[in-house]
Amino acid sequence: MDVSRPGKERLRVAVTGASGDYGKLLLHRLERDPAVESILVLDVARPEGAKVEYHRVDLTRYDAEGELTDALTERPVDALYHLAFLFGPIRNGSLAHELEVIGTMNVLTAAGRARLPRLVVPSMTAVYGARGNNPALLREDAALQGCPHSRFVTDKVEVEGQVRAFRERHPDQRVLVLRFAPVLGPSVDNPATRLLKRGVVPTLLGYDPLWQALHEEDAARALHLALRADASGEFNIVGRGVLPLSGLIQQAGARPLPLPGPLFRAALHTLDVVGAGTLPVALLDYIHYSWVADGERAESALGFIPYHHVRDAAAALKRS
Amino acid sequence: MAKGVLGNDPFQRGAASRDGGGAKESPADAKPARKEAAKKAAAPAKQPARAKSGNGKAPSASAKKSASAKAVASSGGSRKAAAPHEAAEVKTATAAKAGGRKATASHAAEGGEATRAPKAEGHKTPASQVAAEAKPSGAAKAGAHKQAATHEAVETTGAPDSTRGARAAERQHDAAPPAPHTAQPTESVDEDPVLPLREPAAPVAPRPPPPPRKPVVSDEMGARTPKQREVDHALAEALAAEVAEATAKVAVDEALERRHGEEQDVDRLMATEMATEIAEAAVEEVLDHSPPTQNPERERELASQVAAQVAEAAAVVAVAEVLDRHATTPPAQVPPDEDGDQEERAANSAEDEEDTEGFQDTFDLEAEAEGGFGPGEDDEREDDEDDDAPGSLSDTSGLELSVTLSVTAPEEALETGDTSALEAEVEVPDATRDELPRAQRGGLSLVPPVGETERPREPFFTEQLREPEAPRPLAQRAAGMLSLARDIAGQALASEGLGRAMGAMNGLMQAMRAGLGTGGGAHIDEYGKDPSLVERLDPVLEFLYSQYWRVSVQGADHVPQGAAILVANHSGALPYDGLVMSLVITRERPDLREPRWLVEDQVFHAPVLGTLFNRLGAVRACPENALRLLDEQRPLVVFPEGYQALSKPFAERYRLKRFGRGGFVKLALRTGAPIVPVAIVGGEETSPLLGRLPASFLGLPYVPLTPLGPLPLPAKWSVRFGEPIAMDGLSPEAADDLGEVQRLTERTRESIQGMVQSLLRERRSVFTG
Repeated sequence: MDVSRPGKERLRVAVTGASGDYGKLLLHRLERDPAVESILVLDVARPEGAKVEYHRVDLTRYDAEGELTDALTERPVDALYHLAFLFGPIRNGSLAHELEVIGTMNVLTAAGRARLPRLVVPSMTAVYGARGNNPALLREDAALQGCPHSRFVTDKVEVEGQVRAFRERHPDQRVLVLRFAPVLGPSVDNPATRLLKRGVVPTLLGYDPLWQALHEEDAARALHLALRADASGEFNIVGRGVLPLSGLIQQAGARPLPLPGPLFRAALHTLDVVGAGTLPVALLDYIHYSWVADGERAESALGFIPYHHVRDAAAALKRS
Repeated sequence: MAKGVLGNDPFQRGAASRDGGGAKESPADAKPARKEAAKKAAAPAKQPARAKSGNGKAPSASAKKSASAKAVASSGGSRKAAAPHEAAEVKTATAAKAGGRKATASHAAEGGEATRAPKAEGHKTPASQVAAEAKPSGAAKAGAHKQAATHEAVETTGAPDSTRGARAAERQHDAAPPAPHTAQPTESVDEDPVLPLREPAAPVAPRPPPPPRKPVVSDEMGARTPKQREVDHALAEALAAEVAEATAKVAVDEALERRHGEEQDVDRLMATEMATEIAEAAVEEVLDHSPPTQNPERERELASQVAAQVAEAAAVVAVAEVLDRHATTPPAQVPPDEDGDQEERAANSAEDEEDTEGFQDTFDLEAEAEGGFGPGEDDEREDDEDDDAPGSLSDTSGLELSVTLSVTAPEEALETGDTSALEAEVEVPDATRDELPRAQRGGLSLVPPVGETERPREPFFTEQLREPEAPRPLAQRAAGMLSLARDIAGQALASEGLGRAMGAMNGLMQAMRAGLGTGGGAHIDEYGKDPSLVERLDPVLEFLYSQYWRVSVQGADHVPQGAAILVANHSGALPYDGLVMSLVITRERPDLREPRWLVEDQVFHAPVLGTLFNRLGAVRACPENALRLLDEQRPLVVFPEGYQALSKPFAERYRLKRFGRGGFVKLALRTGAPIVPVAIVGGEETSPLLGRLPASFLGLPYVPLTPLGPLPLPAKWSVRFGEPIAMDGLSPEAADDLGEVQRLTERTRESIQGMVQSLLRERRSVFTG
């Protein structure tokens, strides 16, 4: 049953959220992986691909769990990537919650029923939260403090809680949670890329926290590595090096605009209340304190060594 | 030694394999290489090299050529990149003017050093741009390596890459200046003479008084004795001199009038004399070389012709010269000399002082005045016996050639009656286009530079001086003054003291920007330290350390190798002591690894201060960070009193507060790192706390009120290291034994308090020590 066993070369992989950023990145690599026999896509949209077997599943529907179980038990799969998470601008918060939290619940239930050998769930380093009391490098066992102002982050923290509980209930199944640093690249769209693609990025005067970033190629590689890695648990997937926020902004081709904290805070809250906010209030935390995760565990246990420096990732964003 | 203990620790693996290993080392390795490369390259090359090293690690960024220029600009700072670029552009501007031959020459030079460049865009690609384009290929290579290699491999490929870039820049720099140098001689021939000066000669050609007078001595034709010939020569010469003087006077008057209007007698006299002298010399040459059988009448006629023409031509030149010299240099009266050796020497010696310059001027003038007759008659020259390059004015054969030409020239001119063409070709020495590039000429058009010894060593400045030539003499003179001003400014900048001050200012600006959160920075370690900022601030730190605070250190040898916890008393309203401690360690004990100091949250999260301190090497005090730093075998400076010590009033100075909860002892017990007690005196007086301003809206408990604001006072600092307290015989489990922890904490505190008291007793004055 263990897919990481050497010699087993006909892998069948199931993917939810295949049309998201992570899904696209992963599918592209799986298509080129000769060991992957077929890709079972469980999604609302059918992606392109020669190996794709499409099974329409809407994770927000009440009957999603049954559908998933059917699809996964009909022909057993070696691994399930649960990538159905939103990174675009969230206009409908409750829908996002349905998809991410309830959808994950459905997926986990189905995975438990189908006794999936391997489950891979992406997360992000932002779940650690940007706090003044963070150590210089956050390890995987650090508490997930999240960001109370942000539904985007709190949903992810909730998902992580579910997945951890699932892992504890099913110790025989491999569950890998990949906590990605902000993924930057020409083909991804997430809060970090949207922030950095602005010509002028507001920052807090007097603060310049350290940021990490991950090139999208590295992100795809990490996802791919999780297919065979003989490991379980959480992993920080981060690019090489760190940059101060201002440096990251400059590398991405924008200009930092330092604003005095009280003014910035007031403006952001006002805009948010009015509904005209183009920047999430949650951003305040992340441009105030550092949240640097330690990628050592991914390197030793997952075999993931980032190729790209943060600068490269930012520059890739600039080129796009 | 701490390994056994650390084995139990969850942090151990991380530091050993990831941070303690190659990944940490390699940037440090790469740095000296980069530094060396930068040193090798001169100043302009230095900046691109640095910009490059930033760029070299961004393989994907530089893979595309189109993005390369932007990438260089953004990573290195466009300001820096611009300076050599500008210089190169100036170079190319001159190259573009100087005809095809020169363009190809410079192109060849560029191609020589930038063979790796994918495609130079035509001849006029500025050399720096070529270099910039050469970079991506190297960087892309580094990127290719990166695909296959791990951290270390990548970092080390980054280093030679940057070296290569710097070398390319250096080579470019070396190759570029000779191009104009070698191409220059051709210029004087290929080019038209300077326009504004053609005018005066051309229109109302003031014909010299008709020379064919009745010969004073009319002799019978036929065989003439050498003595007779001598007499004839003398007569002819005398006649010629007369004619020359008359012509020169007229011509000088006219030229002066045309040049300015306001005339000075001295100028006129000087110009006339110069022109006459030149004419006489020319006549002498002509007569000496004329065939001996020529009849005396013809000879005299020829002599007067030559004299008239040369004098007239020379007059214009002489006027220009006199005025030029009048405007720029005090007139150096040097009689013209025909000695070829001297001329050559004058032409070749680049760094000669004024006298030689005077020589050189005169020679250039003469040579050009004489050679000026040449280009008019190309056929004749070809008929003549030589195929010498006409541009070789600076050697003696060229001189002779031009003289023989001038013999034949008047004949032809007489026959055709068209003499204006001849004068039109007279070349006037132009300060901006001489045989020697301006950089080597030592400022011909300039007032003798103030401190010739302070001549800018770095080619950056001399290159910048080469500016596009002024089209008119007036504009040219203004440009001369401008370039003089620039020269002086450049020299001032190049002087060491000012350069250091500027560097310090630059560093401070950078620090300010870093503190405000706009500093950027591309090479920052995971704790937030920016080594390049520290390097830039080095002049400031050095000043503070050795001149302002005059830090005296005792017992630095007590700090053991490897991990060590340096426990010091905290003092002063602003925590300069951490910075000073790190400076003390790096200066007194360069054999140790780079130290870090822990600061409490209140300081670490203070808006500007915390960010700046973080860039300088401060780390937030928490057990995780401390363990990690000790795992990296660094000396770790801690201030257990913490925030309390900073907020105590000045009256309680040097009275140590409670040592927290003994966190540093637990740390020492867990890691086995020894505790080194350190006493610091001077910090309290450097920034005494006079009061506190509430600043809760800034997220701060208070803003300290100090005499000079954030600036420190020049108190003298003393730092004393005590005997290390080893953790031998104590197990890591003792960290849970509160009694043991308390005992060790108290012991350390007493040791420090004792040292502080003795330092205070030894101190006689706060500011002078």
